[in-house]
Amino acid sequence: METNCPIVQESDHHLSVQLTIEMDKRIMNRPFYWSYVESTGGEPNPAKLTLITDKTRMGLNIPGEVVHYGSPRLNQLFQVAKERGAFVQLFENVDNQTGVQTVLTPWLGVNYKITYSSDRTKEMLYSLGMNLMTGAIMDGFHEAVSELRLQAAIPPNTFYLPYIIKPMRAMERLETLIDELIAQDDHTWADEAAARQKRDLQVLEYFYKDTEERPESYEMEKKAIKEQYETKIKVEIINGGLFYVR
Amino acid sequence: MRIEKSSDWMEGLQKRLDGEQEWDNWTLYQMSYDVEKRKLIPTFYGLQSPKFLPALKPYPHQLEAAETVIERMNGKAILADEVGLGKTIEAGLIMKEYLIRGLVKKALILTPASLSTQWIEELNQKFHIPAVPFNKKYDLNLCNIVVASLDMAKRSPHKENIYNQNYDLVIVDEAHKLKNHKTKNYEFVQSLKKKFCLLLTATPIQNDVFELFHLISLLKPGHLGNFETFQQVFSASKHNVEEDEFLKELINQVMVRNSRQHIGLDWTSRRVQIIPIEFSQKEKEVYDLIANSAEHLKAFSDAFTVMTLKREFCSSKEAAWLTLEKLVEKCNGAEERAYINELLMKLQALEINTKAEKAYEIIKQANDKVIIFTEYRASQTYLQAYLFSKGITSVPFNGKFNKSKREWMKQLFKEKAQVLIATESGSEGINLQFCHHVINYDLPWNPMKVEQRIGRVHRLGQEHDVHIYNLAIKHTIEDYMLELLNTKIGVFEKVVGELDDILSEYRLSI
Repeated sequence: METNCPIVQESDHHLSVQLTIEMDKRIMNRPFYWSYVESTGGEPNPAKLTLITDKTRMGLNIPGEVVHYGSPRLNQLFQVAKERGAFVQLFENVDNQTGVQTVLTPWLGVNYKITYSSDRTKEMLYSLGMNLMTGAIMDGFHEAVSELRLQAAIPPNTFYLPYIIKPMRAMERLETLIDELIAQDDHTWADEAAARQKRDLQVLEYFYKDTEERPESYEMEKKAIKEQYETKIKVEIINGGLFYVR
Repeated sequence: MRIEKSSDWMEGLQKRLDGEQEWDNWTLYQMSYDVEKRKLIPTFYGLQSPKFLPALKPYPHQLEAAETVIERMNGKAILADEVGLGKTIEAGLIMKEYLIRGLVKKALILTPASLSTQWIEELNQKFHIPAVPFNKKYDLNLCNIVVASLDMAKRSPHKENIYNQNYDLVIVDEAHKLKNHKTKNYEFVQSLKKKFCLLLTATPIQNDVFELFHLISLLKPGHLGNFETFQQVFSASKHNVEEDEFLKELINQVMVRNSRQHIGLDWTSRRVQIIPIEFSQKEKEVYDLIANSAEHLKAFSDAFTVMTLKREFCSSKEAAWLTLEKLVEKCNGAEERAYINELLMKLQALEINTKAEKAYEIIKQANDKVIIFTEYRASQTYLQAYLFSKGITSVPFNGKFNKSKREWMKQLFKEKAQVLIATESGSEGINLQFCHHVINYDLPWNPMKVEQRIGRVHRLGQEHDVHIYNLAIKHTIEDYMLELLNTKIGVFEKVVGELDDILSEYRLSI
């Protein structure tokens, strides 16, 4: 596995993995065991994790954790993937038996997640790439590069062009593009949330209309209504990196 | 509008470009993107939570309720399904949805003490929501989802600690405990910040329409106007709700109520009957003595005492005995003392309890598991002894039992005993679908308590018709109670919606 944990046993509906010490510490949630082993100098014995994806089809009675989307263990593993899969530098491996040298062009690829939120939410993914030689921008970049054979080291007989546009400069331009995409989008959702907020505030005012001195609960309620319908847009970067492709 | 961005990633990229840190792995990179893609919430509408909970099989009415609360009520609602339709599941779905959408980070769940553990288990096991019990030793800053008993939470210093937290969602289970706006319970919840808020109760009205007014004012102050205007319209006659349709519509904007008949599930029916009982001559004499005692005695001059005694005596002489004994201590004159002592003697001399005999008859006839509900601990003990003498095994049950004892009693009832005798406080949070006979040995003032009792048995999972026997002694206070219960049911039905039969077709019979 990509975290250097060997797979011990595997079938269509279950998977046993021998964890490394580092992964055990990350996901097994047993700090007392590790501080004990480390302070006594004992032999570390990282756990074996068995994950079951389809309990109904497990013929053998193998003890393990049932996982599915949304299960806490899987979320932990996703979190690890997120942290350890944030930045890449990759080179395309072009099959060239002809002996001709391959020249690769640098791209910056960034995967964005945009969240609109009020008392409801909506999320969008944008995978954008920028050619660091020409400044050309491509949508659906991740899907495109996923088709290629990519590797971390430069393949033999391959050369790459040094970028002209600095990655940081490209980042700025991509962000401007994201801002434009947001600006052009339909924002009825925000107007609707504002209308809901206004209505609720009116109702609240009515409740206290004959009260000279407004109690603390009035302020509290008002604050809650403001927070409830507050409209926000959040831009997050999932991951990205330098891609040298033909 | 504010656009939130972070420069963390850019800094990380710079470090890699400068060779200060290693590049990551392509497979993990792809995996990470793939996860985001699958977790994406592509629309403002609809529920995402079921996708993340494949083991949970919610009923359509539960999904619909969750969606209605989020989309039509903007996350502030009273969940008022009839008992046994799964309000907890609906609340869990709503909370999960908000957690997934990132709209709720911190949540507070307030429950009766006896139900805290059940909530924690359900949230963790069914919804994978890491809820923890409230504990004064824990740092509340670190606990995101906390389940606390309302009684504990409202007291200092817990109250202040809770106020200091910024909860996005507040859930109150058995929210009818907030019906009185002059209580500490009410004040405590009123002062909480409620961005999203769910109040769970099968019985939003127990006595009068003002209870619902206060409940809604907690959730959304002003929705039913302020108290002065509301009172002007509705106080003319407490039990005569006018402008019903208008009020009903307003209520429907903040309340979800599924009833058994309307959810389209195949429900077993309720067979409710009132069993009228005639006191024996001797019992009748003692009852009249109690009823007329106010004229003779100072100790009885309090109408409430007489009423209590009448109700107790209709249940069992044992129940009345305890109250009378306390009265002896309180009274001054020798004359008074003599009168009460005579009453006590007469009580002692009674050998037959006609009502208990009737209950025994019903149990024999049912020839099956039976639950008996009584208001009094003394009657509970008496009935257990009485049934034992008739060769019928029974187990007691009440709300003061801790969780393991409750489970044990339930198990005993299921496997060994024929009868379970429960007091009122035992009628929350226990599910006994394997039983289908309920005897209301005596009746409470509040019809919703009767509904709660029946709900222990008549709920999702019940496969048989359920038989309800309401025992009432003729020409006593119990006649009057039946009448009053019916009036209250009338108010509830006008404002909230229809109720399943509780008391039988009583109205037709009078």
